[in-house]
Amino acid sequence: MTNTMVISRREFMTRLGLLGSLALTYPSAALAELRQSSKDIPLPDWIEEPLWKTIAQVQETLFPAAEDIPGAADIGAAIYLHKAIENPHADGKDRDYIFRGIGWMDELTQQRYTKNYIQLTENEKEKIIEETVQTKAGRKWVSLMLTYILEALLAEPVYGGNPDGIGWAWLEHQPGYPTPAADKTWDQLRQRRS
Amino acid sequence: MNKEYDICIIGSGAGGGPVALTLAKAGYSVLILEKGPWFTEKDFYQDELACCRRSVYTPELSDEQHVIVDVDSDGQWVGEPTSESGWDFWNGNIVGGSSNLMSGFFYRLKPEDFRLLSEFGPIKGANVVDWPISYDDMEPYYTLVETEVGVSGRFTDHPLAEPRSSKDFPYPATLEHPVSKKFDQACERLGLYSLPTPRAILSRRKDNRRSCEYSGYCGSYGCSSGAKGSSRAALLDQAVATGKCEIKPLCKVYKLSSDNSGKVVSADYYDVKEKKQSVNAKLFVIACQAIESSRLLLSSPGPKHPNGLANNSGQVGKNLLFSAGGAGSGDFDYNTMVSQESKEMKRRGPFVNRGLQDWYFIDDPALGGRVKGGTVDFLLRHPNAMSKAMNAKWDDENNLVWGRALQNQLKSIFTDNQTLRYEIFCDWLPTDDCFVSLDDTVKDKWGSPVAKVRIGYHEHDLKIGRYINEHSMKVLSKMGATNVRSSISGAPPANLVAGGCRFGHDPQTSVLNADCRAHDVENLYVTDGSFMPTGGSVPYTWTIYANAFRVAERIKEALG
Repeated sequence: MTNTMVISRREFMTRLGLLGSLALTYPSAALAELRQSSKDIPLPDWIEEPLWKTIAQVQETLFPAAEDIPGAADIGAAIYLHKAIENPHADGKDRDYIFRGIGWMDELTQQRYTKNYIQLTENEKEKIIEETVQTKAGRKWVSLMLTYILEALLAEPVYGGNPDGIGWAWLEHQPGYPTPAADKTWDQLRQRRS
Repeated sequence: MNKEYDICIIGSGAGGGPVALTLAKAGYSVLILEKGPWFTEKDFYQDELACCRRSVYTPELSDEQHVIVDVDSDGQWVGEPTSESGWDFWNGNIVGGSSNLMSGFFYRLKPEDFRLLSEFGPIKGANVVDWPISYDDMEPYYTLVETEVGVSGRFTDHPLAEPRSSKDFPYPATLEHPVSKKFDQACERLGLYSLPTPRAILSRRKDNRRSCEYSGYCGSYGCSSGAKGSSRAALLDQAVATGKCEIKPLCKVYKLSSDNSGKVVSADYYDVKEKKQSVNAKLFVIACQAIESSRLLLSSPGPKHPNGLANNSGQVGKNLLFSAGGAGSGDFDYNTMVSQESKEMKRRGPFVNRGLQDWYFIDDPALGGRVKGGTVDFLLRHPNAMSKAMNAKWDDENNLVWGRALQNQLKSIFTDNQTLRYEIFCDWLPTDDCFVSLDDTVKDKWGSPVAKVRIGYHEHDLKIGRYINEHSMKVLSKMGATNVRSSISGAPPANLVAGGCRFGHDPQTSVLNADCRAHDVENLYVTDGSFMPTGGSVPYTWTIYANAFRVAERIKEALG
C-alpha cells in the first residue's frame, strides 16, 4: 500500500460521498485505516464477559476477517447485537434464543474438546458450527446469529455496527439519505406508537 | 361536553385525505381519527431497520393481527393468525396511511374497467359486475388528483390511452434511469408500446413540498422531501392549515354506534391513553383500508343493523380484491459491459418509469377470445441492502451459508449485476372465496375480534398472469438480461387490497350506492378502496384518491 492510499476515516467518507464508486475500489485501504483507528476506541466492559466473548468469537467464525474483507469485529457485530437485543423495544425472544444457543454450543464444545469455544483453533470452531447446523434448532440459531451479523454489516452506523459505513463500502452499496439522527432511530420512532 | 363535528373520518390515508381537504376547504368542521402516530418529513430517514425490519409504521403483530384463511394440502380452508405465520397484512398505520410508503406508480383505470361484465361477459365462479358509474364520471377527479396530489409524467397518445380532459400532466416526468432507454429499444424491436409511467412524485416544488431528491429509496420508505404524494403531505397538511380540520392520532375506533333510526351517532374509540372515548358528528366516513373498513362495520351492530352496520344484506366484507399477477426479473452483468455502461447501470436515484399495457385486453384464441389482461410495470430491484443480504444466507439446496462462502456470495449479489424487475397487475376476480369476517377467537390488544380474511383466488387470474408473464420475460431477454426468472401465483399481495363494500344500484348485492353512501345508513360513507366491485389491472391508489374526491362532492351536497 502506498502512502497516498492511506486516508483518514473522515477523508474516506468524504471521498465516498464525493467520488461515489471510485472511492469504493479501495476497500483494503479503508479497512486498514479503520482497523488502525479503532484500536484507540475503548470497548465496553461487557465485551469481556465470558458470554459475550464467546458470542464475539462465534460471530468471527461466521463472518471471518481477511485483508480486504471486514470481519465480525470490524463491522462491530457484537456491539450491534448487544444494542439490538438489549433494546427494550426489541423482540425479547431473539435475546433468549441467542443466549440459549450459546449454552448449547458450550455443551457441545465441552463434549467434543473438553475446552471452551474461545480456546479452540479456527478449524475446531468451524467444525463446531458445522455440527451445530446439522440440527434444526442449531440451524435456526446460527441463522439468527447471521441475521444480526448482516444487519450489523449494513445498518446505519448509528445502530452500533457498520462503523464509518465499512460494510457499505465493501459491498459497493450506496446508502440512501438522509440517514437517521440519534433521536430518530427505529426504537425512538416506535415509542411514538404508544 | 363533546363537540359535534360536521364530519368524522376514520382513517387518514388515500380514502380519507380528499374528503378531509374538500370538506375543510368548504368550511365544514372535520375530525380525523387515526389509529397510528403522526410522523412528518422530519421523521422519515432512509433507514432500512425503521422502514422494513421493525414495526415502526405498522403495529406489532402480537398487539394487532389478522387471521388468514387459506386452503391447506387437503383442500380444507384453514385459518392461521399472522402473529404465528409472520405474514403481515398491515400496510402503514400512520397519519396519511400507506400512501406514505407507496412507490407511486399511478395508472388510471380504463373505460372498459367500469363495465367489465358488459364488455367481457360473465366468468363462471366469479362475481363480475359493471360499476354503477362510468369512466366519464370519474375522469374529472383523476385530473384533479394530478394537480392536487401532484402527478408527474409524460402523456403519449397511444391506442390504449385513457381519455383525458387536460393535455398533459401538470408536472414533467421524474428523472429516468439509463436502463429506460435500453427498455425502449427492446420494446421497439418487439413491436411493443413502451409507456412512460406517471408517478405521484413531484418533479418540482409545490407549495411546501420539495421536488424529489432521488435518493433511490422510495417504495416502503416515508418521503423526507415531501415529494411523494401521500395523503398526509399532499392533502392533510393543507386541510389542517384551513383551521377546520383536526387530526387525532393514536385514536383507535372500535365501533360506530347507531340509533333506532339506523343513523350513526358516534364513533367510539380508545384514545392515546387507551381510555374509551366517543365523538359525535353529523356524518361519518370510513376509510381504514379495505380489510379494516369491513371489520369496523361488522364490529358495529346496532338496533337497525343486527349483523353489523350497513350489513342488512350480508354483503359487508364480501368480494374482497387483491391484485393478481406476479413478478419477474433479469440481471445485467457488469462484466459484459464497457466501464461507462456499467457506471450508468449502477446509478441509483432516477426512476425506470416504464410500463406495458399491450396486453391490457387480449384477443387470443388460446385464451378463448377477447379477455381482460393487465399491466406490466418495470422497476429496478429494491435497493434495500439487508433484505438483499439475507438472501445470501441460504443456498439453492436450502443449506445455511456462513463464513467465507457467505462473504463470497454477498460480494457477488451486490457487485456482479444490476437487476431489472417487473410486476404484473391483473384483475383479481371477485369470488365467494375471498372475503372478510370477524374471527371467533383471536382478539386485538383492546379485546376486539380481529379480521379473518379468506384469500381464495380464481384460476382465471393465473391463466391471464401466465400469459402476460410469457411476453414480459421476452422483453427482459430482448434487453440482454441473463437469469430471467419469474413467478405467477395466487398469493395475495397484502399491499394491493380493495373491495369488501362494493358499490352498486341494488342494495341486495352491494353495500354502498353510487355515491359510496351505505344503502341502509343515511349518514355513513366509505371512501377507501372498499367500494370497488372489480379492481381493474393497475395499482389502486389513483382511483381511490379520485373516487374520494368525487364522493367528497356528494358529501358536500348532502351536508347542504
